[in-house]
Amino acid sequence: MTRSVRLAMGQALIEQRSFWRSAEYALFTFVFPLMILLLIGAANVGSYLPGTHIKNTTVFVPGILAFGVIVAAYVNLGSKVAVLRHDGVLKRIKTTPLPSGAYLGGLLASTVATAILLTAGTGLIGWLAFGAMPRPGGLLALTAGLVLGIVCFATLGLAISSVITSAESAGPVTYASFLPIAIISGVFDPTFGGLPAWLSRVVDLFPVKSLAQVLQNGYAAQPFPAWGLVNLGLWTAAGAAFAIWRFRWHS
Amino acid sequence: MTDDVAVQVCDLRMSYGATQVLCGVDFEVRYGEVFCLLGPNGAGKTTTLEILEGFRRPTGGTVRVLGLDPTTQAAGLRERAGMVLQECGFPRQARVAELIDLWRTYYPNPRPLGDLLEVVELTEARNTQVRKLSGGQRRRLDFALALAGDPDLVFLDEPTTGFDPEARRRCWAAIENLRRLGKTILLTTHYLDEAERLADRIAILRAGRIELAGTTQEVAVLAGLATRISFTTPAALRRGQIPRPLGIDLAVSGSESVCHSEHPGMTLRLLLDWALEHGLGDLDGLAVTAPSLEDTYLELTGAGAEPQVSQAIGGRT
Repeated sequence: MTRSVRLAMGQALIEQRSFWRSAEYALFTFVFPLMILLLIGAANVGSYLPGTHIKNTTVFVPGILAFGVIVAAYVNLGSKVAVLRHDGVLKRIKTTPLPSGAYLGGLLASTVATAILLTAGTGLIGWLAFGAMPRPGGLLALTAGLVLGIVCFATLGLAISSVITSAESAGPVTYASFLPIAIISGVFDPTFGGLPAWLSRVVDLFPVKSLAQVLQNGYAAQPFPAWGLVNLGLWTAAGAAFAIWRFRWHS
Repeated sequence: MTDDVAVQVCDLRMSYGATQVLCGVDFEVRYGEVFCLLGPNGAGKTTTLEILEGFRRPTGGTVRVLGLDPTTQAAGLRERAGMVLQECGFPRQARVAELIDLWRTYYPNPRPLGDLLEVVELTEARNTQVRKLSGGQRRRLDFALALAGDPDLVFLDEPTTGFDPEARRRCWAAIENLRRLGKTILLTTHYLDEAERLADRIAILRAGRIELAGTTQEVAVLAGLATRISFTTPAALRRGQIPRPLGIDLAVSGSESVCHSEHPGMTLRLLLDWALEHGLGDLDGLAVTAPSLEDTYLELTGAGAEPQVSQAIGGRT
């Protein structure tokens, strides 16, 4: 057991090192969410949610936190595993005595590290630039949302990786499969509305809006997002089941 | 099974659906030797290797690798056997020495890094990013990773396919280095020269069967190929002034006379007696040519047989 943990940590370290060595990964994962935070955030300064005293930025910043979690966990891990499989690296791992759990554990640990760094960066810049801070009573929701969100979207990333058939389509498939949902979930626009009722209900079923709501509860007092937490749990279970069912070590 | 056998394969059978890829393969590899599974594409070489490596469960027959059953004892096998698959990528951002070092952590008794770099001649490229390596260098890095755990046995699946002559030569040098370390090597190839150059023993696999096995010379003899005996046609023979030698099927053309014999010693004696009798002295231009591995291989895998094989098993090797 300890050997597996040590091996997983070694794997995670080298994954982190390669991540930061690759300009495109580091750039897309960090610069993209932070740019959106600053640009769209600036457009929301001084506005309030209709009929409330809640600043737009107070719900916008946690929305971008959710976006960051999804990019770091889902997009990053999903495309990474798809590329590793396509390149035959997973197959090569199977020729060694490294336990599969230690290898995948290492990849997950590295993903968690990236997600935490991105979340911390987003929260810090959101506070410095827009004065958005978690409310004292919201820390529990915030922590629960981050932990569950990272686990849920990393699992979904593993699941989607099995659907991706080439290294070239890894980025496009992972982004295209959540960005439209993120937009209609109001992640980029706190005042987003006007969806037909049925579509609004459909959006509620996806984990993107659930994660955003849970994190927003950590910043602005809103009804406790019980459904959001349950929904993230359900998607985690579904993602894990699909990932286990479809996971392949070779393309 | 005796103690000096590293790999034992008995009546190995494998089918994919209705297609039989291996139809009862038998061979054994002894400790410390380089054993080559030679055969055309689609013969079943890679399938055999994948079974030995524990990646596929055979339909029938028994297999022992380092005394282990690869299907049920894969984990133990992976600690003691290095595997170079036909095509296998590297993590995109890794550097040579860093990757080898990572691989060393996977094994209980790794070889020293400097040693590994030296064996595969990558010492100078140790800090190069893997994606900047040439095809030949990547293959040698494959060797280094397979060797990281200091295995007793190394599997090499078509190690030089598609390489230019210089890259092949350096790959061969690396394999020679492995041999000098005392590693048992099981390699597959469809290149004759590779088998001839590297292997202590060869088994020719065709259409899922071992046609022949032995040393290069043994294989040629076992194939029943005849030795070629030729000499310059003496003028008297050309003009029909002397009878042809008895008991020899001699083909006389204008300048050269040729016969093939499975008993070259006896044939030569008959031939020289005949020459003495007719005052021909030592026959001018007398040449005795033993059948080569190439002759053997071409004879066994000759035109007509192979396309059918490739088609039957969908080009899978």
